[in-house]
Amino acid sequence: MKKLLSLLLMLAMVITIVPAVVAETDLEPITLTAFVGGPGTQAYADNKIYKKIEEEFGVTFEFEFLAGDLDEKLQLMTQDLTDLPDLFDGGNSAEKLIDAGALINLLDYVNPDDTPNLWAHIEPQKNRIITKDEDTGEDVMYIIPNYGLPDGPQIALSVGGPAFFIQKQVLAWDNYPQIHTLDEYFDLIERFLEANPTNADGTPYIGFDILCEDWRRFCMINPVQHLMGRPNDGEVLIDINSEDYATETFINRVYAKPYYQKLNEEFHKGIISPDTFVMTYDQYIAQLSTGIVLGMFDQAWDFGDATNALKVDGKDENTYVALGLIYDEDDVADLLPEGWTIEEHYLNGSLPNLDRGFGISVSCKCPERIIAMWERMMDADWQLLLNWGVEGEDYSIVDGRLTMTAEQYANTQDVEWQRHNKARYFFESSPKRQGWILDGDLAGNCWEIGNQDEIVFGLMNDYDKQFLAAYGYSKFADFVNPPIDLAPYGEAWQIDKAPIEKDYNDFLKIQDTELPQVIMASTEEFDAKWDAFVEHINPSCEVYSNFMHEEVLKLVAAYFGD
Amino acid sequence: MTETIRSNGSALRRTKHGFFRTLIRQWQLAAMSVPMLLYVLLFNYAPMWGWVNAFRDYGNRKLVAKGVTPYNGIANFRWLFGREDFYESIRNTLAMSVINLVFGTVSAILLAVLLNEVRRKGFKRTVQTVTYLPHFLSMVIVVAMAQNIFASNGPINALLTGVGLTQTPVFWLGEGEYFWWLVGVINVWKEVGWGTIIYISAMTSIDPALYEAASIDGAGRFQRIIHITLPGIKSTFVILLIMNIGHLMEAGFEIQYLLGNGLTANFSRTIDIFVLEYGIQQADMGVATAAGMFKSVVAIILLVGANFIAKRLGEDTLL
Repeated sequence: MKKLLSLLLMLAMVITIVPAVVAETDLEPITLTAFVGGPGTQAYADNKIYKKIEEEFGVTFEFEFLAGDLDEKLQLMTQDLTDLPDLFDGGNSAEKLIDAGALINLLDYVNPDDTPNLWAHIEPQKNRIITKDEDTGEDVMYIIPNYGLPDGPQIALSVGGPAFFIQKQVLAWDNYPQIHTLDEYFDLIERFLEANPTNADGTPYIGFDILCEDWRRFCMINPVQHLMGRPNDGEVLIDINSEDYATETFINRVYAKPYYQKLNEEFHKGIISPDTFVMTYDQYIAQLSTGIVLGMFDQAWDFGDATNALKVDGKDENTYVALGLIYDEDDVADLLPEGWTIEEHYLNGSLPNLDRGFGISVSCKCPERIIAMWERMMDADWQLLLNWGVEGEDYSIVDGRLTMTAEQYANTQDVEWQRHNKARYFFESSPKRQGWILDGDLAGNCWEIGNQDEIVFGLMNDYDKQFLAAYGYSKFADFVNPPIDLAPYGEAWQIDKAPIEKDYNDFLKIQDTELPQVIMASTEEFDAKWDAFVEHINPSCEVYSNFMHEEVLKLVAAYFGD
Repeated sequence: MTETIRSNGSALRRTKHGFFRTLIRQWQLAAMSVPMLLYVLLFNYAPMWGWVNAFRDYGNRKLVAKGVTPYNGIANFRWLFGREDFYESIRNTLAMSVINLVFGTVSAILLAVLLNEVRRKGFKRTVQTVTYLPHFLSMVIVVAMAQNIFASNGPINALLTGVGLTQTPVFWLGEGEYFWWLVGVINVWKEVGWGTIIYISAMTSIDPALYEAASIDGAGRFQRIIHITLPGIKSTFVILLIMNIGHLMEAGFEIQYLLGNGLTANFSRTIDIFVLEYGIQQADMGVATAAGMFKSVVAIILLVGANFIAKRLGEDTLL
C-alpha cells in the first residue's frame, strides 16, 4: 500500500514537472520586480497574459504598488540605489528618480539597428524624448513614454483633459444652446437653477464646484489660460506667436481678474457654495456622483469615477459635456497682452507622456532582456494581445474589423476580470502602440479598444445618441475646436520645477489660501483683496515666470535640434 | 609623596565605593536594565548624529544623488527664521498645544470628578466605556465625521440657525480663526475618556476615611470635591502637566494635516507640517533637520522649566 502511494506521488510529481519543462523557453527564467507609483491591485497567479509573457520571454513579475505619499516613498527608495525594483515607474514624480540617478540611460540599448520597432516608435518625437544630460552633455532617455506616441492621425473622440463641464440635462433643458463664453455658461446655470432649484428627490442643486484640494488645485488656478485661448500649459501663459515664446504666469495679470470677479459674483448669487473650498477630493467625487453639481472646471480624467457612478445609476442626463469656454474678446479687449487674439483651443496635439512609465533601475541585472521584450512586444500580435486580449476569447475579427460583444467589453472594465485576464499594470507603464493600426490585414482598426468606432458607438447609450443628434454632432469632441498642432515645447506643465521648488511651493500656497478668499470677498472688498493677492504673489510669480521661460526656450531649442 | 597619592586614590575610591557596591549588590536589577539602556542608546541617542544634516546643503538634488552635501553653516536656520510661515507654524503649534492641554486636562478632570461621584457602578462603567472608545478611532475617521458635522449644511449649523443664534451658516471649516478651537474640541471629544482613566485611578487611592470624616464634620458633596478629591489628585495632575509640557511642541500632525485646507493653511500649519512640506516632500533634509532640531531644543527647555517650577512648588518632579 505504502509503495503504491509513493509511486502515485512520484507519478504526480513527474506529471506536474513535465509541462513546466515543456513550457520553458531557451531563456533563463527571471523574476522582475516592478514598482508602480500609483495605487493598483495584484494580478492573480492564473493570469493568462502574464502566463503568455512567461512562456515567450521567461519573465515573471513581482509588483509593488504605491501606498501613501509618492514623494516620500521615492525619497526613501532612492536612499539605496543597489536595491531598487528592476522596473521603476515613479508616477508623477519620476523626475526625482532621474535626478537621484536611479534609472539607466535607455539609449545604451535602444537604437535603430538593435531595436528598430522601439526606435520607430519614438522617432517622430525623439527631439522631445531624448534630452541632453546637463553635466556630461550626452544624449539621455530614461523612460520611453508610456502614452502619447500614437500611430497615424490624432484621434479625438472626446475631451479627455481640461474644460468647463456642464451637465447634459442643463443644455437639454435650454433646448441645446451653443455655449462659448463664460457669461453664457454662468447665465445658463443661473437660469436652470432658478427654474429647478432641486432635483427630483428634493436635494438642492449646486451650481458650480471649485475643487482645490492639494495638487488638484488646478481646478481653481488653471482656467484663465484656457479662457485666453491656450491649451494646458500649467500655470503659465505662453505666446507661441511671439518670437521668443514670451512666458508669464497668468494668475497675477489683469486679464485673470475678470474670471475671479465672475466667480465672486456667482458666489454672491449662491451659485458657488463656500463648502467647495474645504472639500476633499473624495467628497467632491461623492458630490458629483449624486448628480447634484451642475458644472465645474476640471479635467475629464479627474472625475472618471463620478461619471462611471452616474452611468451605473442610470443618471445619463447628469453626466457632463466638456465646453470650450473663452473670454468674450470685447469684454477684455483692453486687458489683453499686445497683439493677443482669443481663439478657443482646448484640444492640443497629442503629447508624449514624457518621463512617465517604466524606467529600468540601475540595480537591474538584465536591462537587455527587458528591452528585447519591449521590442518584441511592439509587434502587432503582442500589441493585440495586450490591448485586445486573446482572439476568439476576448474579441473577434469580423470582415477585417476588431469587434467585441457587449459582454466581452463589460469584462474589460471589470477589475476582477482584469486581474485574471489582463497584464494591466505592466502594460500601462510600458511603451505601447496607440492610434491607428497602419499596416497588415487589420489596417484601419484602432490599437485601443476605447477608440474603435464600433465600440464607441455601440456603447453609447440612447440618451447620448439622442443628445448628440440634437446638436447634429457625431462625437463629444465636436463641442470644442479640433486639436491644434502641439507647440514646439510640448505642454509647459510637464517642466520639472525642482530647481525653484521652494518658490514654486510659495507660489501655489499663496493661491491656495488667498484665491478662495478673493472669490468669497464681499463685493466692495473684491478689488482690494484682488490687489493684495497680486501683490503677495508677484515675487514668486516673477521667479517662476523667468524659470519657465528659460526652460521653454531650452525645449524649443532642443526640438529644433540646435 | 607616594603617601599622598595613595591616600588621594583611596579617597577617590571611597566616594565611588558606595555606587559600585550598590551596583554589584543589585547586579540582577542592573542587568535587567541593560536591554533598555541599549535600546535608548541605539534608537534615541545614536540617531542624534543625524543632526549634522541640519548644517548641510541639500538644495541641489543632482548633487545629493551623488552623495555631495556640503556643509553650509547655519544657512538652513537662516532660511527657516527668515520665513514668516515658519514663525506662523511655531505660533500655531504652541497655540494648539496650549488649547489642547487646557481643554484636555480640564475636561478630563471634570469628567473624572463627575464619574467619581456617581454611585451606580453600571452607569459609571457605561459612561467610562462610551467616552473612551473614540480614543481608538483613526484620526482619518474622526476628521471625516467632523467635516460633515461642521459643514455649512451640517447638524451644528442646522442647530445654530434653527434656534436663531445665527442667520447664515457659520463657515467653520474655512475660517482660520476657528481652526485652533475646532482642533481643541475634536481632541476633547476623542480623548476625554482616555484622559479620565488616570485621574479616576488616582481618586480611588484616596482614603475613604477622609470622605467619611468630612461628612461627619458637615461637608457637603461640593466641599468634599474641593477639599478632598482635588487635592488628592494634585500630584498626578502635576506629573501629567510636566509630561505634557514636554510635548508642547508636538501639537499633533494628523488632525491638522487632514482637517486643514488652503483657506485655513496659515492657522493649521504646525512645525511638523512645515517640515513635511518644505523638508521631506522637497527632499531637503537640511531644512527638515534644522526645524526638527529647533523643535527638540525648545521642548527640552520647556520640560526642564516646568520641572523646575514644579520643584519650587514642592511637588513631585519627573527629572
